[in-house]
Amino acid sequence: MEVLWAAARVGAVWLAVVLGLIVLPSALGVSLGISEAYMWVLVKTLEWATIRIERGVKKPWPLKTSTGNGIIERDETPMEKGIARLNTMDFEFSDIFYFCRKGFEAIVEDAVTQRFSSEELLSWNLLTRTNVNFHYISLRLTIVWVIGVVVRYCFLLPLRITLATIGIMSMIVGTTLVGQLPNSSVKNYLSEVVHLTCSRILVRALSGTIRYHNKENRPKKGGICVANHTSPIDAIILTNDGCYAMVGQVHGGLMGVIQRATVKACPHVWFERSEVKDRHLVMKRLREHVADESKLPILIFPEGTCINNTSVMMFKKGSFEIGGTIYPVAIKYDPQFGDAFWNSSKYNIVSYLLRIMTSWAIVCNVWYLPPMVREPDEDAVQFANRVRSAIAHQGGLTELPWDGGLKRAKVKDTFREEQQKNYSKMLVRNGSIG
Amino acid sequence: LEVSQGAQPPIPSLLSPTVTSEQIEHLHRRFKQLSQDQLTIRKENFDSIPDLEFNPIRGKIVHAFFDKRNLRQESDGLADEINFEDFLTIMSYFRPIEMNMDEEQLDRFRKEKLKFLFHMYDSDHDGKITLQEYRNVVEELLSGNPHLEKESARSIADGAMMEAASICVGQMGPDQVYEGITFEDFLKMWQGIDIETKMHVRFLNMETIAHCY
Repeated sequence: MEVLWAAARVGAVWLAVVLGLIVLPSALGVSLGISEAYMWVLVKTLEWATIRIERGVKKPWPLKTSTGNGIIERDETPMEKGIARLNTMDFEFSDIFYFCRKGFEAIVEDAVTQRFSSEELLSWNLLTRTNVNFHYISLRLTIVWVIGVVVRYCFLLPLRITLATIGIMSMIVGTTLVGQLPNSSVKNYLSEVVHLTCSRILVRALSGTIRYHNKENRPKKGGICVANHTSPIDAIILTNDGCYAMVGQVHGGLMGVIQRATVKACPHVWFERSEVKDRHLVMKRLREHVADESKLPILIFPEGTCINNTSVMMFKKGSFEIGGTIYPVAIKYDPQFGDAFWNSSKYNIVSYLLRIMTSWAIVCNVWYLPPMVREPDEDAVQFANRVRSAIAHQGGLTELPWDGGLKRAKVKDTFREEQQKNYSKMLVRNGSIG
Repeated sequence: LEVSQGAQPPIPSLLSPTVTSEQIEHLHRRFKQLSQDQLTIRKENFDSIPDLEFNPIRGKIVHAFFDKRNLRQESDGLADEINFEDFLTIMSYFRPIEMNMDEEQLDRFRKEKLKFLFHMYDSDHDGKITLQEYRNVVEELLSGNPHLEKESARSIADGAMMEAASICVGQMGPDQVYEGITFEDFLKMWQGIDIETKMHVRFLNMETIAHCY
């Protein structure tokens, strides 16, 4: 009995602390500076750890310079120069050399598959999951690591789970309540308050430190917000600073409950699975939404899948055919404190969320870019590429012309035949044939 | 070193000491990626490389990995699957030249690379590149272009074979038949021409740079 009472009292104190220090400030939009203090301690600890690692190394130890760009020197000569004729033979063995070498380069490393696994770190951040290359250094470092494990799993994890639960509960309850009201400006205002508060709670649940740049370019009503995609929490990162109408497929389970609740308060655009196949229907609904100037801007991730935040892949042109003003947003996570990338072929959503919640923090930068409109002589694909370049440039990401769908599917035949046609055209031009 | 599948295999002697252990580790990781964490790679595993799809001689390159003649096994034919050591053996054909190699080493180097190429052409493993085999290679290189007919591919191959014959055998009598390019003829064709720089893949130099946040 005594134990139960004691446990209940501890639980109550815990809840009161959480509510007072975290939930209430979120609702009011103020910050008590707890996260900042935590981050400061974290940064100092990691700096100390890095110095110790370097000191502990006896021989010069190859730390990677830039891991994003690969391990071999790629030969970038275009096909024409690469197949410069070595001797007078018309059709050359040398073409074989060129393609052989290209083939080997592709086998050793290809630019696409790299993007579907997590970015590697330059120095260890005291999480074993990133401990690919680092060995045992010293006792002190190991002790710090053990303390880190204890802090993360026994203190931070329960805290975050509590916060996440509170956040999701209040989201469902709040939006259901607001949804009962008749449509009016009061309802819109309250719905915004609820969404913002719950987003803030959820961001704190992840220990998120987000820096927003160029807030004057924030997406306005009747526009379309376009961003690069790294993880499911991208949406929360963005709604932390403004209200958007989400676009997506209806899911089952908890996600479905949230979707049904929130759509009562705010006109999110949820599609049934059957509707998703019908492109015209999708476009029609989105166009109607955008045409209504009083509706919140819609949020779309045109890559279609999660990429590991070192590059931006092909943007699907559908989002760019709707019309209206596009507000590009670049999101760049700092991998030192926690890896936000969701490798959906390796982890399911639950283990992904657990990993996020046992990392140190989620630190990211969000840049709002100036709005863009499609030029009259541009088609959707060119416009999509223009927007993508702007996002990649701002976020410091590389651009890849590849389709994110390559994570699961093979290269389309049409793409491959293009390349082969190029080669044959060159042979004809050089007079080798005919 | 973090190698999850037991001890690292012994490095083939052709690779050491010019390939560092870091590079071996990278290749091992790549191997694991391609094999999807299995111990061996099969032909199907190469299907997952998008960049390779573009290569017209993709089939021949993949085939080269499983060709037992390249794997330095005394037997002939094709292996079904290769392990990491075999993978490294094939990779060693693409080593760049080192500054400190002497004449004999350079010559051996060159022969190895040309032998690799020869095997790629000689698909029936009989030690000769026949006209038909040459035509196969040309057709593969030109495959996918609907505007080029088979005839064009054949005429290219025939022209090249004639040229090869004239280099290797000189003037032939009217009833002499040129059976095919043997490896010695192949070497003769490439005499004096620098192929070593065309057929290598160079690793980036990993320098020690410390980063502090």
